[in-house]
Amino acid sequence: MIRMLAGIVLAAAPLLAQAQAPAAAPAAATAAPIVQCMRANIPPSVQVKEVELISRDRTGGERQLRGRLYATNDKDRVKAMLKIGSPPDLAGAAYLMREGTKADEIYVFVPALNKVRRVTGGNMDGPLWGTDLSYNDLKQVQNAFQDQQAKLEGKAVLDGTPVQVLQFTPQPDQASRYTSIRAWVEPKSCMALKAEFYEGLQVVRKRFSGSAKDLKQSGPHWYLADMVVADLKEGTQTRIKVTGVAAGKELADRLFNPATFYVGN
Amino acid sequence: MQRLTSWIAAHPLYCMAVVALLSVLAFVTVYDLHDSRLRLKIDPTIERLLPEKGDDRAVFDRARETFGDSDAVLVAVEMDEVFTPEGIARIDALTRHFGELPGVRQASSLANVPNPLAEGDMLEISTFGAQARENPERVRAFPAQIAANPIYRDALVSKDGRTVAFSISLGDLSEEDFRKQDYTGKIRALAVEVAGSDRVWITGGPVIKAATVDALLDTLAFTLPAVLALIVIMLLLVSRSVYGMLAGAATVLISLLWTMAAAVLLDIPINLVTAIVPPLLLTLGLSYAVHLQADYYAVRETSPEARVQHVLSKVGPGLFLSGATTVAGFLALMPQALPAIQQFAGLSALGVTFGMLLTMVFLPSALRLQRQSTARRPLGERFFLVQARRLAVFDLRWRNWIIGIALLTVPIDLYFASRIHVGTEYIKSFHEDAEARRDFEHINQAFNGASIVSILIETHVNDALTDPELIGQVESLQHWLRRQPEIGSVVSYVDHLKLINQSMNEGDPAYYAVPRDAASVKQLLVFGGSSEIKRAIDSRFRSALLTVRINVDSSAQIQDLIQRVEERLGELKPPLNASLTGSPVLATRAVNAITSGQISSLALASFAIWVMLSFMFTSPRAALLAMLPNLLPVLLYFGILGISGISLNPTTSMIASIVLGIAVDDTIHFLARFNADARAKGNETAAVKSALASILRPVTFTVLSLCIGFLVFTGSELKNQVQFGVLASFTLFVAWFADILLTPALGSKLRIVTLWDLLRLDLGQSPQHTIPLLSGLSLRQARVFALMSKMEKMHEGGQLIRQGDLSRDIYVVVDGTLEAWIDRGGERKTLATLGRGAVIGEAGYFGQRRTASVDAVTPARVLRFDSQDLERLRLRYPRIAAIIFRNLNRVQAERIARTTAMLQ
Repeated sequence: MIRMLAGIVLAAAPLLAQAQAPAAAPAAATAAPIVQCMRANIPPSVQVKEVELISRDRTGGERQLRGRLYATNDKDRVKAMLKIGSPPDLAGAAYLMREGTKADEIYVFVPALNKVRRVTGGNMDGPLWGTDLSYNDLKQVQNAFQDQQAKLEGKAVLDGTPVQVLQFTPQPDQASRYTSIRAWVEPKSCMALKAEFYEGLQVVRKRFSGSAKDLKQSGPHWYLADMVVADLKEGTQTRIKVTGVAAGKELADRLFNPATFYVGN
Repeated sequence: MQRLTSWIAAHPLYCMAVVALLSVLAFVTVYDLHDSRLRLKIDPTIERLLPEKGDDRAVFDRARETFGDSDAVLVAVEMDEVFTPEGIARIDALTRHFGELPGVRQASSLANVPNPLAEGDMLEISTFGAQARENPERVRAFPAQIAANPIYRDALVSKDGRTVAFSISLGDLSEEDFRKQDYTGKIRALAVEVAGSDRVWITGGPVIKAATVDALLDTLAFTLPAVLALIVIMLLLVSRSVYGMLAGAATVLISLLWTMAAAVLLDIPINLVTAIVPPLLLTLGLSYAVHLQADYYAVRETSPEARVQHVLSKVGPGLFLSGATTVAGFLALMPQALPAIQQFAGLSALGVTFGMLLTMVFLPSALRLQRQSTARRPLGERFFLVQARRLAVFDLRWRNWIIGIALLTVPIDLYFASRIHVGTEYIKSFHEDAEARRDFEHINQAFNGASIVSILIETHVNDALTDPELIGQVESLQHWLRRQPEIGSVVSYVDHLKLINQSMNEGDPAYYAVPRDAASVKQLLVFGGSSEIKRAIDSRFRSALLTVRINVDSSAQIQDLIQRVEERLGELKPPLNASLTGSPVLATRAVNAITSGQISSLALASFAIWVMLSFMFTSPRAALLAMLPNLLPVLLYFGILGISGISLNPTTSMIASIVLGIAVDDTIHFLARFNADARAKGNETAAVKSALASILRPVTFTVLSLCIGFLVFTGSELKNQVQFGVLASFTLFVAWFADILLTPALGSKLRIVTLWDLLRLDLGQSPQHTIPLLSGLSLRQARVFALMSKMEKMHEGGQLIRQGDLSRDIYVVVDGTLEAWIDRGGERKTLATLGRGAVIGEAGYFGQRRTASVDAVTPARVLRFDSQDLERLRLRYPRIAAIIFRNLNRVQAERIARTTAMLQ
């Protein structure tokens, strides 16, 4: 989850992240220029004043989590920290994710225990915090957008917005649970407004979707301020809203230090 | 009525044309010619058999909606090596393959469940599969780690460590698709291919449901042709004519076609219960056709029209009443709570009505058109005549013994019936070698339970289930559940919570406990919970699901457990509100609903049949006597259930009502014929002989048809279907036995008056006003009296009474003219001319010799009765008898007064 949220701000995936505005995707016959546009100009850091996660279960019951997110991109290694602000009984909990060369490091601070735990392994495909996102979802997206074999399927119109449709196929070494990912990319912002994750041939397992009206800019960087992640198999969904995104801001190292990340703001 | 039968006999083509037209309409209703497909819905799902509304169903639906389907497919695979890196890799691969099957929401096994390991401030929550891949050495520790984890213990691997369990949760895959697409076969093939083992067992709700439906459809595919073949053979035997066989078969098939059209129009699907209707209707329709044809081919009338008329007037009333009582037997099942039983009852009742109508309209019309319709000696006629005579002698001679022995069986049957156990054994319904049963029993034994029930805990308060006090109650409930012998395992969010707490605290066993405050609980559940926890507690922490694996399968044992669990759940304090649910629970409740409705259904059927018989026999007492020979076989049936240990289950519980409705037919046939013959012959003993001679052959043939028809069910793969076939045919056989022994014994002293007789009897205009003896009676009472007497026809010149004879008969002139005269030295001296209403020979009633002779001057009809008739009348119809005696006195008084006046 935290990785995904970091992705929002660090453009690991245009769907979940932002892309730089000036380099709008040229009209292309192949996917490569669009993918390049999507990957270009990742900001060095970002701070999100408020991230709101609203999970809705099959019966319509909702649970909300609010927090602040800090992320930085240090030599292509993402570091991200999320601190929960509400609800009050969960306030103070914090997550730190540091992307490593061999494996990613994840730390969690649980106020009730007053302990930091380094979590390794984990069910990467399992939902995080009861949401519809898994750690691997974002990883798949990130891998997908590094895929040089992406195919441009053509143009389409999504809710009145012209988009380019791309198909990404995970490589065998990525051990993906998905057989393919299809993304609907808005060419001006290079942001994916919709992405579908396929299991098997034609079965959509998860769907990420947002609206063009929620595309926002922080300086030169684009981000999607409101999106929904739906697990179609489970019949659940999570809405992610971000406000107060500030890109390119200098962030203190203590925010990403396992010994101190949970202390400061 | 007479006019109707005459009309049918006179217009065979018209009747057949109407039936043909209706049949064409029925065909296009059942079969969509445009799309070339059946419109008849076939819905083999089990869930839809249960009531759509009701608390149980609502709880089941809420649990499913919140936590997903708990009716998972369980797969067990025995492997040569489980706890080796290669073994774990195979399990991992197989789990992934299962998960990738279309319609599967999730597959879980040892390979993809997390194995939390804490070391210092490090917490590893990767899966067993991932740990085996990263460090094959760690596989050796897996058995101990699994044994230490209460969620996984005895659930992932069997105790001997050789058999691995897989749980496959289905998504939007209907029961029907699961069965049609042979998911059981696909899962088995995948297991064999990927795991490299052919020792694979598969069970779970969807698997057993699919196997049950397959078995029932196979039964249907077998029974329908078998019953059709039986129809052909029986009709050929009875009619000894291919035409007769074809006409009978067409009658039966048309009634089935009409019934199926009614099913389409009433939106009744062919489901697991209504699937019995087609073979049942074919069998019943066959019995009607056999009955009518047996009489038709035995009639010696020369013209076909006369034969039809004769047969309809002889067989028609009995057939009508038989159909009505059978319909009553079916309709008595209507108050049952389950919609499937109601649909079965309604459709069967409609089908029987169609069969009865067609047998009385279409079949005689078709037979009437047969070119070579001369009467021929029916098969076995002589044999049955001889046996009937012997039987009649035996019945009359041993009358009291027969009745005594029959009554003696009642307390014996009741004693054994008290030992009946109620319920069904779902899996034991399959044959011992059936794959579904073998697999279930293996998994049940290997994993101490193969059926899943759930306890849904609801609080309706957000975060309530994070309150440690309430968690304590849930934990205490779990401890109690684990002590129950029927329960193999219980898993709840409390287990997950304690494991998370332990893992977050360096794996210290002291922390395998519930945290002390709600905030800690919530933080652990939110930040430490895996995906599995979504199946145990909802996202708002207001409701939870306890997954309980049970090792029992019989509904009686499950019901016992349900009662205990519900009592325990009642002890939970607010806001905890818990309900036991799951497919086994719903099925058990449905079984109980059916069987508890058995007594009321049977009572209702008996009452409805008694009311009908009372109406038709115009006497509640006669109706009760007619019921006795049929209630005794039903009691014997219950006694046999008690002795044999066969349980009263949904299938066996239907037998009593159905058999009662069918068996009473034979009694009606006997009593109707006995009554007619007793009236005609004026001698009950002779009437018993002639009635038995008349009905023994057709009744035996119909019972034989029905018994063989029901025995066809013994070809089923399901034990309860086999039991249904054997027990129904046995009970019918006993009913036949009672009908040829007990009914004549009981009926030999019984003069009944049927409604049919009442309607047919012609006493002329206003007999109660024009015949003094009948004065003060209603028209119906006048007819009852007439029918309790004997109506005699006299031709012109015929002598009714001879002077000097000693006779006790009294006569009432209904119509015609008679003359009373005396012989005076060879000279005939006329005393009086007697017309309608005149009472003749009343002096004989008091033991005097006939004082005059009476001859018919014109053709005449007289009612003859004697002191025995009057005594019978007094006993059966005391009010009518009182008025008759009063009128008789009045007639006598008038006569004495007149005589006195003459003397003066």
